[in-house]
Amino acid sequence: MAELLLDSDIRIWVFLPIVLITFLCGILRHYVSVLISTQKKVDLTQLQDSQAMIRSRMLRENGKYIPEQSFLMRRHFFNNDESGYLKTVKRASAPQPMTDPNMMVEMLKGQLTNMLPMIAIGGWINWTFSGFVTTKVPFPLTLRFKPMLQRGIELVSLDASWVSSASWYFLNVFGLRSIYTLVLGENNAADQARIMEDQMSGAAMAMPQDPKAAFKAEWEALEIADHKWALKDVECDLLQKAEVDYLVNSQSFVNSS
Amino acid sequence: MATLDLDWEDVREQLRTWREDNTRHSEEVVDMWDYCLKHYKHKLGDERWMVEEQVVVAGLDCYRLDVAEPSLVALNDQFPGSLRVRKLKAMRLEALERFDEAMDIYDSIIRQDETNSTARKRKVSVLRGQGRITEAIKELTEYLKIFMSDSEAWQELCDLYLKEADYSKAAFCMEELILTNPHNHLFHTRYAEIKYTQGGLDNMEIARSYFSQAAKLNPNNVRALYGLFMSCTQVLSSSKMSGPKKKETQQLATWALKEISDRYSKCRTNTMDGSKILETFKSLSIMDKA
Repeated sequence: MAELLLDSDIRIWVFLPIVLITFLCGILRHYVSVLISTQKKVDLTQLQDSQAMIRSRMLRENGKYIPEQSFLMRRHFFNNDESGYLKTVKRASAPQPMTDPNMMVEMLKGQLTNMLPMIAIGGWINWTFSGFVTTKVPFPLTLRFKPMLQRGIELVSLDASWVSSASWYFLNVFGLRSIYTLVLGENNAADQARIMEDQMSGAAMAMPQDPKAAFKAEWEALEIADHKWALKDVECDLLQKAEVDYLVNSQSFVNSS
Repeated sequence: MATLDLDWEDVREQLRTWREDNTRHSEEVVDMWDYCLKHYKHKLGDERWMVEEQVVVAGLDCYRLDVAEPSLVALNDQFPGSLRVRKLKAMRLEALERFDEAMDIYDSIIRQDETNSTARKRKVSVLRGQGRITEAIKELTEYLKIFMSDSEAWQELCDLYLKEADYSKAAFCMEELILTNPHNHLFHTRYAEIKYTQGGLDNMEIARSYFSQAAKLNPNNVRALYGLFMSCTQVLSSSKMSGPKKKETQQLATWALKEISDRYSKCRTNTMDGSKILETFKSLSIMDKA
């Protein structure tokens, strides 16, 4: 197959502009999000609730390491019908995210800085720079990589290691992370890949919003947790281990002598 | 001075590690800052302010106000109105023993941001610094009602209760710490020691179990071995034991004794003479001969 020779104008007018545009957009996004984001205010009761939940979970998980009396005492503190923490503390159920204006504003801000520029710039780049072969990766690739690296160019005969302009844009979007950390410092808002991760895990993290339901679940879990003291046989274990050690040592002594 | 030859990047790295580990190393921090990093602060970038904060705290710890104050002024100029800087100012007042003024500042911080846990904790330490232990305990229990899973605070409360010789409450705090980290042998040892101090057969048996657990988690914990031996002898001395139980306890005591004496006979050749300690053991182990 004949070797392709790219026009050097492609380098100046397509390859470099795409790098520059993505980079500057990242910087811009960082500063815009710094400008419009608000510090999240934590509410005291919310904090107390989460701390109580953590403590109760610890009790369930590690309760076997403390004496039974102590375990029952703590469970009584959380679960007692008249005065238990999880029973008596009344919390209003969580507001619906859509009706809370603050939440709406937050979400809008997130959309504004994350999704909109990505769609707009991506679309614009696709429209302006479509159809160029911009660069070549310095190693051979199989045909499967063609849709990834050659978006916008449907040529069967083109070698898979050539990269099209649209794909070059996407490589830049996801690959500039370390450059951003270099320029903007850690934890900047410019990084697309991180935002994607956040959105993935965000759904799972935002779930236990309703303290009432969470308290009830915790109450139930704690109610059925029973205490099995982990230290019951620890002395026996220790003695057995000592015996084994002794046997092993004497064995090796016999062997060596 | 050895610190003069230090590379400033190494120093920065070291300080960062200490910051992340939450360990103070105040004297070293002050020295490093004074001899080395002070001259490179323009190179630190944004990290400079974190370092300055660390230096202020370290300087106050060592009563090196000449070190702490310039950094505090710099921080104040950079972040006017910041709660973190205000906390540092109050800590300076604490170092100067102007406790009431410091207290006022902490109160104002809490009024402004009621979830600020450091200000609340500082209030406890102000009371402790003044020796008002009971008030410190009261303040700390109020704090723990809100920040229930703060193990640092539980540890401090345990310490305070021990100062007041309120062992059952100290034991409660220790249980809380065991719940947060059941694989820390030091917590188990401390808990067992508290139970041992409380006395009584039940507590002694619990102490024995926890000393064994600590010895199991870390076989090098000599303190736990000592404790195990002592608690076993104590349990044996109360004669309300059934046959196999008694035998087991006896075995455990001899095992602990053997472990300790092994350790000391290993050490004897090196620097110290372990024979005296072994003799002391012989006198302690009357129980076994009987």
